Amino acid sequence: MTDEDVMNKVKSGNVKILALLFERYHVKLYNYFLRLTGDKGVSEDLTQDVFFRILKYRETFRQESKFTTWMYQISRNVHFDHLKKYKNEMPLEEKWEEEIAAETSPEQKTQEEQEAVLLHRALSRLAPAKKEVLVLSRFQGMKYREISNLLDCSLASIKTQVHRAIKDLRKTYMNLKGGVL
Amino acid sequence: MSTNTDCRQIQSNFPDYLIGDLDVKTVDSIQEHVTACTSCRRELEELTGTWTQLGILPEEQPGPNLRKNFYTMLESIHQGVESSPLKKLLNSLKIKNVWEKLWPRRPVYQFVFSVVFLFIGLTVGYFIQSGPQESSEITQLRRQNQEINQQLAISLLNQDSPSQRLKGLTWSSRLEKPGNQILEALLHTLNNDPNINVRLSAVDALYLFADFSMVKKGLIQSLQNQNSPMVQIALIDLLVQIREKQAVESLKQLIKKNKLNPQVKQRARSSLEKLL
Repeated sequence: MTDEDVMNKVKSGNVKILALLFERYHVKLYNYFLRLTGDKGVSEDLTQDVFFRILKYRETFRQESKFTTWMYQISRNVHFDHLKKYKNEMPLEEKWEEEIAAETSPEQKTQEEQEAVLLHRALSRLAPAKKEVLVLSRFQGMKYREISNLLDCSLASIKTQVHRAIKDLRKTYMNLKGGVL
Repeated sequence: MSTNTDCRQIQSNFPDYLIGDLDVKTVDSIQEHVTACTSCRRELEELTGTWTQLGILPEEQPGPNLRKNFYTMLESIHQGVESSPLKKLLNSLKIKNVWEKLWPRRPVYQFVFSVVFLFIGLTVGYFIQSGPQESSEITQLRRQNQEINQQLAISLLNQDSPSQRLKGLTWSSRLEKPGNQILEALLHTLNNDPNINVRLSAVDALYLFADFSMVKKGLIQSLQNQNSPMVQIALIDLLVQIREKQAVESLKQLIKKNKLNPQVKQRARSSLEKLL
């Protein structure tokens, strides 16, 4: 059964079958929020909120729409509302650093783990718009065309943003690695 | 020698190059260009290097509460839909009530009504003569598809590899009308699979079919047979979510067991209060 078939059944009243879409996407969505917020607890709450809104607004799902595009539209709204609500909270990078410090000391980490820590930090320093396109294309496996529909931008602009996002990420990563920043 | 325009044009393809979404001709032209142009070569190497490096960031797993909270929410919304004002309104408009209001009291009008309905019935019957054959073919195809999905799920559930058995569980959840054979196979997996993750996923898979009395009975019985605290707790939570009153006795028996894990005992006690 395709995602759209399942969602149409949910829409017509069989709400229990949403469990299928939850099983297909909750880990992916959780990681989407984790890359954007850097906070595990918040990411679980936001993922939960997405499925709550899917149920609440099930009537608005259009039969001809692609389910994942609709799901990511809801996810973006959920994330936006979260940012509005907690705009004075600790910035993302400090959260990563806190979590990293709590886990292990630098001496205990393997080279790959240290690399991952630096990448997380570099990712968290990217401008939000660039980070979003990079997360959607690299980690969520979305095609550029789908991202352009989701963000309502031209295809060329999405490709340019991806290109710039990687360049910025690399620059920050190299600086962090060299201890410049 | 390459110009700035050439470089810009070539570089505009780099994002597609990263995800492998280019035709052979364009890939060839990029490779040809970067062989001769040092700055574009460096740019491409840096982009692909960083893109690949991002692959080391692992996909993380959320905590167990996310799944638990989702299923609790789903169940409460399901109960809400069942008792919604819309549902009550639809029930109040049942055919019997409507028919009583429409049917005339005087015999003459009753006769005229009957003749009109007979005529409509015959006309509709005439025009849809070819319909039943077509719809029976579709029904047959659907039934065959169901049967194939069911057999595939059963065969995956019998594989040696746990990941194959997990696939079987996912496959089973695609069934709209599961037969007894697949329900038995799912309950068998829940009770006998050596892998805890597979047994836990079997609990989730059976949630979709918890309306079947056979499944309800099987879940209650399984509570006594499980020895893993995680599976026991998942089963208890499921029985509470589906408000299964018949689980009360089984929970009481479980609490009496001497060697029961204290956390399971505590969960069984609090669940018992919710069900009573």
